[in-house]
Amino acid sequence: MTRLVTLKLIRLVPVMFLVSVLTFSLLEVAPGDPALTIMGDNPPCPSLIEQELVAEYGEETDISLLCTQAVYQSVRERFNLDDPIWERYLIWLGNAVTGDLGIRLTNQSFTVLEGIQQTFPVTLQIAIFSMGLALLVSIPMGVWAAFHQGKGFDRLSGGSSFAIISIPSFLIGLLLIFFFVWRPWMLRNVVLIFAMIWVAWLLWSALKRIVSRMVSGSEAGAHATTDFVLAATVALVALGLFFWWPDFPRQGFSRWTSDEGILENFRTAFLPALTVALTEIAVFTRLLRSDIIATLQEDFILSARARGFSNRRIMFRHALRPSSFSLITLAGVAFGRALGGTVIVETIFRLPGMGRFIVDQGVRLNDYTVVMGGVLVLTTAVVLLNTGVDIAYYYLDPRIRRGRR
Amino acid sequence: MADGKVFQLLPKRSLWAGIPAIVAGIICIWVGLGVLTESSSVVRGIVAILGIAIGYWGLNSVVRHFKGENFETSLWLAIIWVVVLVLAAIFADLLPLQEHRNTAQTLRAGTETLLRPDLFSVHPFGTDRQALDILGGVIYGARVSLQVSVIAITLGIVIGGTIGTVAGFFRGKTDAVIGVFTDTLLSYPPLILLLALVTVLEPTPLNMAAVLAALGIPTYIRISRANTLVFAQREFVLAARAMGANRRRIIFRELVPNVALPLLSYAFIIVAVIIVAEASLSFLGIGIQRPEPTWGNMIAAGQDDFDRHPHLVFIPGGVMFLTVFALNRIGEKARQLWDPREANI
Repeated sequence: MTRLVTLKLIRLVPVMFLVSVLTFSLLEVAPGDPALTIMGDNPPCPSLIEQELVAEYGEETDISLLCTQAVYQSVRERFNLDDPIWERYLIWLGNAVTGDLGIRLTNQSFTVLEGIQQTFPVTLQIAIFSMGLALLVSIPMGVWAAFHQGKGFDRLSGGSSFAIISIPSFLIGLLLIFFFVWRPWMLRNVVLIFAMIWVAWLLWSALKRIVSRMVSGSEAGAHATTDFVLAATVALVALGLFFWWPDFPRQGFSRWTSDEGILENFRTAFLPALTVALTEIAVFTRLLRSDIIATLQEDFILSARARGFSNRRIMFRHALRPSSFSLITLAGVAFGRALGGTVIVETIFRLPGMGRFIVDQGVRLNDYTVVMGGVLVLTTAVVLLNTGVDIAYYYLDPRIRRGRR
Repeated sequence: MADGKVFQLLPKRSLWAGIPAIVAGIICIWVGLGVLTESSSVVRGIVAILGIAIGYWGLNSVVRHFKGENFETSLWLAIIWVVVLVLAAIFADLLPLQEHRNTAQTLRAGTETLLRPDLFSVHPFGTDRQALDILGGVIYGARVSLQVSVIAITLGIVIGGTIGTVAGFFRGKTDAVIGVFTDTLLSYPPLILLLALVTVLEPTPLNMAAVLAALGIPTYIRISRANTLVFAQREFVLAARAMGANRRRIIFRELVPNVALPLLSYAFIIVAVIIVAEASLSFLGIGIQRPEPTWGNMIAAGQDDFDRHPHLVFIPGGVMFLTVFALNRIGEKARQLWDPREANI
């Protein structure tokens, strides 16, 4: 067990080493002189250098070329570009490990670390929120689809999962904006109509049970009560939603530490989180469904059935746990994917998250320290997360735990 | 249970229910896209989608009547969609399309901006804020998308396939080194890897293809390595060894032809991933730039007006969705047919 964990951690070392090398070499593969890339096409002349040059050559001389040369020299010195690559790499890595990701090239009064500290919590919150949402929805859906395999709901969820996986995430985001923000009345009515159909169907089946009990004298009365309770809950929730339909903002984000409070935070984070969650719901549901179906073939389920346990007890006490291991692994991987993939959502909903920090402050402005720092931090987070999930898997699954001690 | 009954409400599938359904579907699509040009876009969208659903149900009934119950209509529709899209992209210059790229020309011609889609006008899918034709943009966007993804997938198959086959054949240290390399590439979140690469490269179509190839390479290394491991144990490789074939001959004459098929079977799915990734970069404004139209940058341009003009976003978006969906559908089938590991299960 300990040996396995150590092995995983040892494998981490070369991967992290290569990640850091590749991230660092970003500046080197950029065509041309890195110093020129850092300076940009038309570098402004810093007033300090300008004053020095004016003092040296007088007002009349055209100092623009001299200034460019001076800036070029100062950039080469500041980034130690005259040193050999490996030396610069070691210095950069040493700084990065101690948390110093350098200063931003385009906005030199700020460090990269400050930017990341401000934006990472937003990204993290969206990722956590969306994973929670995805698991909350997909576990009941997967269980239901597996238990009613081949029936209407299963086929419907199978088909729509396949379709949802094919929708790019930015399109999902725009669809959600269209219906939740621009046309909320439509959703409100659709939800009400579907809830009413559901309620009518529940009442109808309850009625049928009662009638059949009266005719044949069988013991199905308890189910009719659950149907009534469920129907009342659905009707109440639907009516509540119809009259107090939450109003979601098109853009913007309110931190949970801000004065507006945590409800405002939930309200602004809901649509972005749902955008990320929808695809994962489709993936998780299919995975859990097929795992449960595989588990239901096992002998211990047969023995539980033979002992006369109810379907519900078999599902939640016997089948769900052994079927959920690959879901947990996938959820871990998906969490990493969400951390790296929120760029799109942050752009659509204009959230002050880390992805948008990298794109807007880094990629667009050619600010290499921002890109390098951001990429390094996100990738490290994802790598550590995946290793953590791998290790957790060994602890969670008793079959592996006992099998390879 | 009751779900089954909901489906029983539909008439039983037969030839004589199918043909009227096809006609009704076509009428719905025609009414939605061509007749109701003045009503709300949501109504038009619902009518058109309803038409597609009814028409599909009818077509499915008719085709299955002739071809048997196991005929995969959706697979063939997916293939037809991809073929039509590819043909339209290749012969885009020959099609009677309106101006989709040059704003100066639409301004001079005085084309109306933000025209609503009308199937029977010169702008079947309407125009955008610059009066550029959406249909033209969508087709030329398909051309860019397909060009980029075909180049990227070719690069990915050649590079990833070679590296993976070598790793699987030599095993040992070579395999370990390549394994670490693959793990590293896979440990970057895909979009973040693309962002990093885009920072240093100009966003030309060729550069984008090279960048997007990085998405496919690690996957291809893994697939070809796994398949090589399987095939290298087989008797025909042993026979070749016994006949004194050298390593290069074994790799290129014995292994590569066998590994190539499973690699190609994954190509459809990876092309779908690449199309989405390319569109995402264009959408973020760091991929291929205007005036070159791509699905991503058309959607990005439309997102400010789409509360009142949803066609700006949902037409390129819908075409992209259908393409990705079709490629996934074909890819799933191809994998079942050609990937030995999948077929054995």
